[in-house]
Amino acid sequence: MRLMACSGMIGYGFTEVGLRRGLEMGVRMIGCDAGSMDPGPYYLGTATPFVSETATRRDLGLMLRGAREFDVPMIIGSAGGGGSDAQLAWTVSLIEDLARQHGLSFKMAIIKAEPARAYLNRHVTAGRTAPLGPIEELTTDTVDRAARIVAMMGVEPLQNALNAGADVIIAGRCSDAAIYAALPLMHGHDAGLAWHLGKIIECGAQVIEPRAGQDCIIGTLNDDGFHVEPGHPDKICTKTRVAAHTLYENPSPHELKEPSGVLDSSHCTFTQVDPRTVHVTGSRFKPTEAYTVKLEGVRRAGFRSIFIAGVRDPVLTAGFADFAAACEARTRDQARSLKIDDDAYTVAFRTYGAGAVMGDREFAALNLAPTELCIIGEVIADDEATSRAVLAKARYALLHTDFDGRLCISGNLAFPFSPSDISVGEVFDFSIWHTLELDDPLEPFPVTYQEITS
Amino acid sequence: MTRRKLKDVASVIRSKNAGPLLLTLDVILPDQAAFDQVVAAGVLAPARMAELYRVSHNEVSVIPYAQALAIKITLPRRHRSGGPSDSDVYGAQQHVPLFDLKI
Repeated sequence: MRLMACSGMIGYGFTEVGLRRGLEMGVRMIGCDAGSMDPGPYYLGTATPFVSETATRRDLGLMLRGAREFDVPMIIGSAGGGGSDAQLAWTVSLIEDLARQHGLSFKMAIIKAEPARAYLNRHVTAGRTAPLGPIEELTTDTVDRAARIVAMMGVEPLQNALNAGADVIIAGRCSDAAIYAALPLMHGHDAGLAWHLGKIIECGAQVIEPRAGQDCIIGTLNDDGFHVEPGHPDKICTKTRVAAHTLYENPSPHELKEPSGVLDSSHCTFTQVDPRTVHVTGSRFKPTEAYTVKLEGVRRAGFRSIFIAGVRDPVLTAGFADFAAACEARTRDQARSLKIDDDAYTVAFRTYGAGAVMGDREFAALNLAPTELCIIGEVIADDEATSRAVLAKARYALLHTDFDGRLCISGNLAFPFSPSDISVGEVFDFSIWHTLELDDPLEPFPVTYQEITS
Repeated sequence: MTRRKLKDVASVIRSKNAGPLLLTLDVILPDQAAFDQVVAAGVLAPARMAELYRVSHNEVSVIPYAQALAIKITLPRRHRSGGPSDSDVYGAQQHVPLFDLKI
């Protein structure tokens, strides 16, 4: 059975040559993951995509036309980035629009992945959630305070939709590997190989050389293992890249947790069968007793505004940390004069050139007298107006506060921009990263079907 | 003979999120001899990593993956990815402390 991942992410692109070649090689389904939590909690918090609508339209349009022309199912997982209801609806509206534009007819399954709070709280109370890493136990209070929570579906909701005859499946938050494991598992293929194949191709061209943008990748299951090769004839897959990808973004190289079990890749072999194809064998799947899905949730932490400024004066760059502390105190005094309480905001001066990237994990001796520093002044408050009001005070304090040895009495900062103050937007924090145990893998993932006729 | 540094031997030294709570570092060696040497030298031992990244040693896992000639180190992030105090949303620039380890 042959499957194709069109790109590592909807909107990151792929070549039309690669797509066409895969379809002509007889792939049984095409898919693409549209989501990631890597860009941080903001996108789930605001239910917005982190790729452009223009790029999303291009990728979805080419996939949709290809899938219909060759009459193979198309599966999109984690629609809109976070896979929440609003992001799912946005993706569905693009598909409907593209279908009209290209005169396509098909049956579409829409699978939601944003369970109701009452449903989640019943499971929290019943002790059916657990931390997934270094985070506190989940409480109903954390659930109630979250801005948005999604659950990550496994293969079962996708298989349910395939069995119902869906041509196009648009899924909310979904395991990346499940997009590709769903169909082979329905046809009785080995679970270890199906899941491992899914894990390797879900990131698209990560395993392809040369690394020049995203592209289609084809996985072919056979009796003892699977082949991985690029869609594009001029690109290659190397054993090193494929083996290394098993490690990628995963806490363990040997084990990958999926809802129904654990993929064990500790006994795998990777063989280069020709210059562009890698053969993988030995992947094993160990089913777990409990069926668990991942919950991802974010809480709103406030609104952030910033200014960016350079410091070139050598007296100031040498003593900036103490100076910043004095300015923070002055900012707080000034904010109080505006009747803004100390606990209504946080203020920070991120100092690039002096340990801003690694913070207290910086191991190198910092240059005590750097030629210049980049300062990002930052205020997070509940609302934009408060954030900007305190930021303006912080900016003034940094610009015009005296320091020992000061000669530059008309100003301490070089602002690159006017306006100097920038409203960055809302700030979120991951508050939920837990497992949820289910009796029925379909339960929190309701599906609806839509006949698209053009 | 001066001992070589990890950055002069490895073909990849990278860091990345493994979810928003964990940071994962991959060291990939160019050949079996280099892989065996780095594993045997114990330069990436959990206690060493804990000290370097200022976490407790029981929060660190170090797992060699021979098929990829790789060693994976996973430890807690300083702050949750993209949260109010985070400084590296993707965790992509936290690999440098490994560069100068002597093997």
